[in-house]
Amino acid sequence: MNANGEAAKAAPELLSPQNARLLLDSTEAFLFDCDGVIWKGDKLIDGVSETLDLLRSKGKKLVFVTNNSSKSRRQYAEKFNSLGIAVSEDEIFSSSFAAAMFLKVNDFPQEKKVYVIGGEGILEELQLAGFTGLGGPEDGKKTVELKSNCFFEHDKSVGAVVVGIDPYINYYKLQYGTLCIRENPGCLFIATNLDAVGHMTDLQEWPGAGCMVGAISSSTEKKPMVVGKPSTFMMDFLLQKYHINTSKMCMVGDRLDTDILFGQNAGCKTLLVLSGVTTQAILQDPSNKIQPDYYTSKLSDFLRIL
Amino acid sequence: MLSCSSHSSRATLSAFSHFLPTTSPYFNFSSLSPKTFSPTPLNFGWRAATAPKPRMASTFPARASAQPLQNADELIDSVETFIFDCDGVIWKGDSLIDGVPETLDMLRSRGKRLVFVTNNSTKSRKQYGKKFETLGLSVSEEEIFASSFAAAAYLKSINFPKDKKVYVIGEDGILKELELAGFEYLGGPEDGGKKIELKPGFLMEHDENVGAVVVGFDRYFNYYKIQYGTLCIRENPGCLFIATNRDAVTHLTDAQEWAGGGSMVGALAGSTQREPLVVGKPSTFMMDYLANKFGILKSQICMVGDRLDTDILFGQNGGCKTLLVLSGVTSLSMLQSPNNSIQPDFYTSKISDFLSLKAATV
Repeated sequence: MNANGEAAKAAPELLSPQNARLLLDSTEAFLFDCDGVIWKGDKLIDGVSETLDLLRSKGKKLVFVTNNSSKSRRQYAEKFNSLGIAVSEDEIFSSSFAAAMFLKVNDFPQEKKVYVIGGEGILEELQLAGFTGLGGPEDGKKTVELKSNCFFEHDKSVGAVVVGIDPYINYYKLQYGTLCIRENPGCLFIATNLDAVGHMTDLQEWPGAGCMVGAISSSTEKKPMVVGKPSTFMMDFLLQKYHINTSKMCMVGDRLDTDILFGQNAGCKTLLVLSGVTTQAILQDPSNKIQPDYYTSKLSDFLRIL
Repeated sequence: MLSCSSHSSRATLSAFSHFLPTTSPYFNFSSLSPKTFSPTPLNFGWRAATAPKPRMASTFPARASAQPLQNADELIDSVETFIFDCDGVIWKGDSLIDGVPETLDMLRSRGKRLVFVTNNSTKSRKQYGKKFETLGLSVSEEEIFASSFAAAAYLKSINFPKDKKVYVIGEDGILKELELAGFEYLGGPEDGGKKIELKPGFLMEHDENVGAVVVGFDRYFNYYKIQYGTLCIRENPGCLFIATNRDAVTHLTDAQEWAGGGSMVGALAGSTQREPLVVGKPSTFMMDYLANKFGILKSQICMVGDRLDTDILFGQNGGCKTLLVLSGVTSLSMLQSPNNSIQPDFYTSKISDFLSLKAATV
């Protein structure tokens, strides 16, 4: 017990030949985050391809769970294929897909529209689910005139605003989203995820959805519904396809407050890789309360260890 | 609604050590509860996420409800200085509100000092002086305190080194004030034209000499600026994160509300996971500054504004009398709503009521 009377969580184990074998034997499905685990921007991380092949050869199911809403599942499958890794659409669970599914399971009326502050991926998933999306990258070109005779119009039939990472963010979109949420009765405010920064390119981190969501939260004074990790919303869809107990799943990610927390919330084993946003110093800092079961420097350590 | 904590944040503050940084309205975001999993609270261990709660009568001695202003003379005689907010009090967009010039003249003729404090950082004090002039009001630059000025004044008050630079996510007003105060700046509206390409091998450089990022309302807001500001705050040791204000929405035109400076600040708070130092209302920085400058006692001041969570809270935090006018963003029903916990001393429809509401003549 620690000072608060809680059962203290054991410190994470560094992945070793012994515990890796145990992990492998007790795991039927590996869930991988993408940015910082599989790739960084458009560059594959060393040894990933061979590691995934190894795991597949041992009969393990591979699932990819990403908070990056800029692409749809189909577009992610294309990205994997272009990097030489064979992955099918239905092995991928992106937060863009999650946003569309959230609207579906909550019976969002089809005559209502969805305003998107985010990428093509969200628009495509909405369309696939039968919804009408407005906004997206196109609105990145629109400007605003702040003159007394210029009135900023917005579609009164927008029933939800979905916010995800948006490199084309601008004042037009902030204003449009703000008006929909503040003025359209019952308008939903959905965030694909809250990641502060991420490896959008191989060389450095870039502002993530947490930034765009922060902007809209501030102007609307409202909290969003979060569909991406660490919310376990996507797990429901995963389980519909893979009838495996979550205790036989291992979530592999580079971020404590999304990937590892998601895994823990869902009852999976968790493995942190240090090839992305988290360093060993951050993991071991006393202020860090999230302890994965295991940690290692990168995914390809499996090749070396097994 | 914003609440203020009352601890001094930095040992380096000189005259303004009791300046109150605004605590974050940044939330615990709730997760969804799909059928098989029970809701799990999101726990971002390193982010102080406290949602301000409405005050309950049982836990605080309830502040008396706002009184409709009946005896204007009594209020006028009881103070030496009137601080006015601008948007929704003096003007709406570019139109003067009825009776304002006569009211200001009357107050001056009774020997009252007039000060204008606005969270709008798009213009400098000099540019606001011109706006007053265009509207036929005689107000001098020295009587105006915009949050653009406050940002520069804050940096001066902490002896921000002249060899460090300031990155600005905001408009011309901030740039002009920084220049007047002798600080070197980067960014501003120009960076609104800069584009980025997220492709392999691309690296955004940033100036390692930036020692402060100032964020305010920015109609030219874009991803380049967010990234530049984020890199400075995260990677330049000791880099300050300063917000001119955190207003959610603002009446930039008189016809409708517009997303305010709070949204740009919220974006940077989201990417850096840091809370800014706020120089505008309801932080008392500007109040302390002008009380110090004019040598006035806070109890001798009446703050007049149209917004509860900035103007009135600013006045209350500063220990002044407060008067809410209903000529701007706040309606009587909003003031009297059970969800509202901010009660000014008085309320009235507009400032020209000072001319009509007289003590009953005997």
